[in-house]
This record gives sequence, structure tokens and C-alpha cells, in this order.
Amino acid sequence: MSVTEYDVVIIGAGVTGLTAGALLAERSLKVALVTRGEPTACLSTGCVDVCSHNDNPILGIRELPPEHPFRLVSEKTVRESLDYFQAAMKDIGVPYIGSCEKNRSVISALGTLKVSCLVPSTMEAAPQDTDESIHIITFQGLKDFYPGYILSRRKSTGFSVYDAGVDSTMSIAARFEEKDFLEKFIIWLEKLNINETKIAFPAVLGLESAAKIVNTLTTIMEKPVFEIPTIPPSMPGRRLFNALKKNFRKKGGAIYWAWPVAGIEKSDNLIEAVTTHSPGRPNSINAKAFILGTGSFVGGGLTATRETIVENVFNLPVHVPGTRETWFDNDYFSLNHGIGKAGIIVDQSMRPVNVPWKNIFVCGGILAETEILKNGCGHGLALATAHVAAQSCAEYLSHEL
Amino acid sequence: MNYEHCIRCTICVENCPIFRVNTEFPGPKQAGPDAQRFRSDREKAQDDWVLLCSQCKRCEMACPCGVEPAQIILQEQQRYGKEHPQTPANLLFANNYYLSVLGSLTAPLANFIASTKMGERVFQAMGISTHVAFPQFRFRTMSKEKKSLNRSIKKVAFFYGCFINFYRPDIGRKIVHMLAGLNVDVVLPRQWCCGLPALGNGNLSLARYFAQKNAESLSNYIDAGYDVIYSCTSCGLCLLHDYTGILEIPAGKKIAENCYNLHEYIIKLINEGYVKPEFAEVPRKLAYHIPCHLRALNIGYPAQKLMAMIPRLKCEILDDACCGLSGTYGFKKENSFSSIQIGRHAVSLIKQTGAENIVADCGSCRIQLSSLSDMPALDPAEILCESLGITDQK
Repeated sequence: MSVTEYDVVIIGAGVTGLTAGALLAERSLKVALVTRGEPTACLSTGCVDVCSHNDNPILGIRELPPEHPFRLVSEKTVRESLDYFQAAMKDIGVPYIGSCEKNRSVISALGTLKVSCLVPSTMEAAPQDTDESIHIITFQGLKDFYPGYILSRRKSTGFSVYDAGVDSTMSIAARFEEKDFLEKFIIWLEKLNINETKIAFPAVLGLESAAKIVNTLTTIMEKPVFEIPTIPPSMPGRRLFNALKKNFRKKGGAIYWAWPVAGIEKSDNLIEAVTTHSPGRPNSINAKAFILGTGSFVGGGLTATRETIVENVFNLPVHVPGTRETWFDNDYFSLNHGIGKAGIIVDQSMRPVNVPWKNIFVCGGILAETEILKNGCGHGLALATAHVAAQSCAEYLSHEL
Repeated sequence: MNYEHCIRCTICVENCPIFRVNTEFPGPKQAGPDAQRFRSDREKAQDDWVLLCSQCKRCEMACPCGVEPAQIILQEQQRYGKEHPQTPANLLFANNYYLSVLGSLTAPLANFIASTKMGERVFQAMGISTHVAFPQFRFRTMSKEKKSLNRSIKKVAFFYGCFINFYRPDIGRKIVHMLAGLNVDVVLPRQWCCGLPALGNGNLSLARYFAQKNAESLSNYIDAGYDVIYSCTSCGLCLLHDYTGILEIPAGKKIAENCYNLHEYIIKLINEGYVKPEFAEVPRKLAYHIPCHLRALNIGYPAQKLMAMIPRLKCEILDDACCGLSGTYGFKKENSFSSIQIGRHAVSLIKQTGAENIVADCGSCRIQLSSLSDMPALDPAEILCESLGITDQK
């Protein structure tokens, strides 16, 4: 039996898990993070939505229904969690801009404006209305990004196409990391004589150095340059994931990849260990406390069966919003699908209600009543609830030790 | 083969080092689960691009749905290899073990020939790239070393693998001394190539032949109360995953249950209170390049845990990049461009850390990275030995 001892085991490598993990590792606790695979954050736009209802996200949170998990988090903690995130990202070299008192817009690959709170610095210059003139640069053969969509929605928009020699999001982004390629590209760009006020790119400007590349292009072109998030593969999502991962490691956390939790060991009031499949010996990790941040359905935290919804790791009681007939709205694109309310109900310490175990904390997208699509609160909720969970977990451990 | 579970999220594609640099390779999603839907045993294998997959298994580590694209591709590589004539490079690398036996017996001569212009031309004609220098054969191979027996409670059979045996027996000797110092008896069982190079070159039957021989030898030791340890992470992955998996070795399960990574084993000894090594300070700043196959072993990064116990040692983990060589993959002419591109990216990440040395468990990662970066690359076991004051001779 391979047994390893930690103070805390985090399950899930998304924004939630990596943030909670970093906060706990910072307090000199031994933290391990186990994950089945890479998180849905990689598929996201990389933007941190806090609450998109209201122009001011903080006020927006106050307007949320009382059962929404955001209402369990104090305003002070919401602010602290966003400040912490911005400071950590700046440190890693993936700066985020924005304020929790004012939402901003980024332009989507369809030309619509998406409301968000904190955005990567590469999207800072995105126009805040539909009037500003922009010039789009796209790449030969790049699937899933068609300037035509944006052109159809915006006046005074032009576009040009560059042949990068490769045609996928990943490979173009990789080429931007090469100095020679970037130099050649800049020469081509300068020759275009762009008249529009701003220059837009699909988000392929580099893997690690995107912020720097956007700065370079802005300086050389003497015009604001910004990225437009694309559908997956999404570079801004991957940069966010990589930066959070780096931050977690820097604080001393360990990560176990491809480590889906297959079983748990528990006593009457404690979870004691999580185990995974292995071709040889059983593979088990013991800890004094556990944080569950596995996300909802796409993330793999929840599974819907014909009749009910189950939580996949600890089989925690799940809040099921009515019978199956009420889970889905007739309109596919509706933001009001009842199933958006499914998840785990927690108390103010982020402990799940109606379970005997006192050393487990739940946070992020797996929580009940979030309605993330409708409220526009994905990563923001993850950051805030991860802070509360980490806080409660640290308090619990300080009493135990 | 759970290819139906693929939700096409493209996370595997984002993690594929080959897809990034080689437009010929359609990526793990298409080469794996997507194409699998259209493959049939009644038709000949035709997708020659499956051979472009280097089997780094990063796609499998990243998949959030438990699909194993690399495994699907590996099956197809074997089918393709069986139905099509082998290239000279494939034949050579699949049989690398025999070649190395010959090479080490004639070490000075073989090394000399390989280093001449003439040798280089022969390699090129066979489709072998010479962008990194071949490791030098050693005459005094590991297999000629003596076991170390002191009637200790803990006994291990050391599967040192081809890299240590033919090229770096000095590291192997150090490991034996280190284990002896930790009150562990070490035997060096009769062993052959683990089989991974044969698998990687589409030669399933040869891989199975090697695996069976090893399984028989190791199995005897396990029955006699020995644990098996390995230090090469690719050998380890083959012993643990492929023997029970694609190679279908009957004793595979027994081996997997009793097989430990060297560092994992030392941690186990420490946790059990069997030993309490006193690590002396090692004032080095290291960039720890995690070999793809160590990631794939699902045991975390045990060497990092041990190195964290060494005073004044700074060690930054880098596990986002493949070195690009992937054993014999990068030595093939058609792959050398991709291999260098991937390696350069890994090196740029290493340079950003400001480390003085690279450390990596895998021999081929070390060859590639030190050759592309001009930085010394060490085995984590060498760092431990440095800290414990163990040398080749002692």
C-alpha cells in the first residue's frame, strides 16, 4: 500500500482547487491536490466574471437570491479574494486588470460584448462599445475564428489575414514564442498601414509571454492592441490555469495528475483518505482535511442519472432542483435551465449540510443555487468561496493540531 | 478503449507537444478517439501519421474524461507496424538492446566509429538523426556488477534498465551503494530491455518477448521476498502499465504490485521508520524537468520530496513541457525537426528559472536537454548521493 500523509487534500485542479490550495500551502500546511485531468478553466475565456447582472458586481451580489452561495461570503472576503488573485497573477506574469466595483466588456469571437469583471491584460484595450473602429488580424486556415461574424455586427471594422505556416490555435501561439517569427510578423503588420483605431487578434499571441507580446505590438504599432477570446482550445484559459498552477507550486503544494478519486476511507465523523486505481498497489492519500472543488457537470463533480443527481467523490447529498421535467427549459439557449441550481448546499464555513463529516469543505461550481450562466459569476464565485473554504479549513486544523 | 467518452473538449490537443510543431500530425483527439470510430480490423491500417505520436502520454494525463488517446494510438501503431514493412531505423531501435550489448562489448571501437564522419553518414543513410550526440557505450556495464548482501530485512531486485547498464553504469553503482547505506540488500537480477523501445517502434511481438523474459526473472525474486525497484521512469511505466496492459503478461499484476520507483521506495523506508538518512547540504539551484513518463506513473514526484529534505537545495518543478526526444523517437530523421522544436521550448522554460543544473529521472530527457541547453543534466539519484556522500567507488 502506498500511503502518503498530508494536512489537506484538494480534489480538483480548477480555479477553486488551485486557489484554496495556494492559500493553505501559504500557511505552511502540507497540501496535495489530486485531479482526474485538466480543468474546465482551460476551456474558459480566462476572464473572471464576478456578477454580470449589475454594472457594479459588488452591488450585483447583494441582489442575488438569499440562497445563492455568494451570499454566504462577506463583501470583505469577495474583495480580498479578487485582490489576492490580481496580486498573484501579476507576480506570475499574467496580469489581470479590472475592479470589483465596475464591470467591463470584452469582445467575443461572434462580435458581441461579453461582460466580465477581471480580464487578462491582453484584453484590456477591447472596445467598451460597438462604435470604436477596429482592425482584425486573423490567420490563414485558423478554424473557429471568422472575422465575418464580428464584421457583421460592427461598423468600421476591417481585417487582414497572415499566413503563419501553421493553422491551429496551439501551433500559432507556439510560433509567437519564437523571436524570429515575431520579428517577421511585426514587419508584415507594419506594412499594412492600418487606419482603424485599434487592432484585434484572436487569442493566439503566445503561450507564456502573451502579456509581453501584446505590449510589444502596442508600442510598435502605436495603437491599442487586444485579444479576442476564442472557443476551445482557448489560450487565455490555459494561461490562467498555468499561472494558478505555478502559484500553487510556488507556495509549496504538490499536484497528482490523472488521479481520479476511486474510493474514500472514512470514520464516523471524519474523512480519512482518498484512493485511486492503480495497476499495482492501492494508491491512497491520507489527510486531516479535504476540500472538494470538482466543479459541476462538465468539470466532473456531478453526474445526472435518469432520476437524480449524484456527487461523484464523497457521494454527498445533492440539492436536486425538482423532477427531471423541470431541469431543462424548452429553449436550448435559455439561461434559466433548472439544472443550473443543482449542487451541494453548504453552511457559512463551506461545510456541506446534513453530512456527519466535519473535515470536508466544498467550494466553487459544485455548490447549489449558483446558476453560473444566468448570473455570470463563474471564476469569481470560485475565488471567493475558495477563500472561505481555505479559511474554515485552516481554522479547523488549528483546533485539531 | 473508452473512446466514446470523449467530449471533444480539445484539452488533449492543447497538451500534445507534437501537434504544436508538426502540422502532419492531426493531434491526439483526431488520431485517437475520433479516428478510432472508423477503424476496423477487417481493413488494413492506413494512417501512417499514427507513427508521429511519441507516446509521451501527456494527453492521457490531461483528459478530464478518462479517455486514453495515447493508448488508442499505441494499439494502432502496433497494427500499422505489423502490416507494413519496417524501416531500418525502426528495426534498429526496436532491437536497441542487442545492439547495445554488442556496442558495450566493443565499447572503445563502437564509440569511435559512431563519432566519425563515416559513422554519421551511415546513421543518416539509415534514417537516423544525429542532432544530439549518442550516449557513449561503457565496457564495464551494470550487469557485471556485484550484488550487495548484508542480511538486511529489506531486499530489493534492481531493474536498472538499458540506459544505466550500457551508458551510465556509474549512476547504477551509486544507487546500489546508496541502498546498501540505507540497510537494503540489493541484487541485480538477470534482465533484458523492458520492451518499451520495441513497442515504440511498432514491434509488439519483440516487446512481448522481452517482457516475458523479464517477468520470469523478476517473478522469481518477488516470490523470494524481494521488492523490485526501477530508476528509469520509462522502464517503470512499461513494467507497471504495459506488462498488465497491451503486452498481456500473466505475471504482470504481480510485478506491478511489487514494483517501486527508487525514490518512492526510499520515502517508504523513511515513513516506516526503517531508516533516517542524514542529508548534508547541497548548495545547488536545480530545474527539475519532470519526464513525461514519471507524470504518467501516477505516483506524484517522489524524487522532489526527497530533494526537499536536502538543506540549501533549491529545486523548481517544470512539468508543462516534454523534452521532445522521447527515447528513440527524436533519433529518427523524420522526427528530428519536431524533436528539436519541442526541446527548445522546454529549454526556454528551464532557462527562465535561472537554475544552474537540470535534473531529470530519464536518461534520454537528460541527453536532449543538456545538448540543447549546454547545461549539465543530472539524475536526482546523483543529487541524493552527493548529499549522502556516496561515490561511484565506495
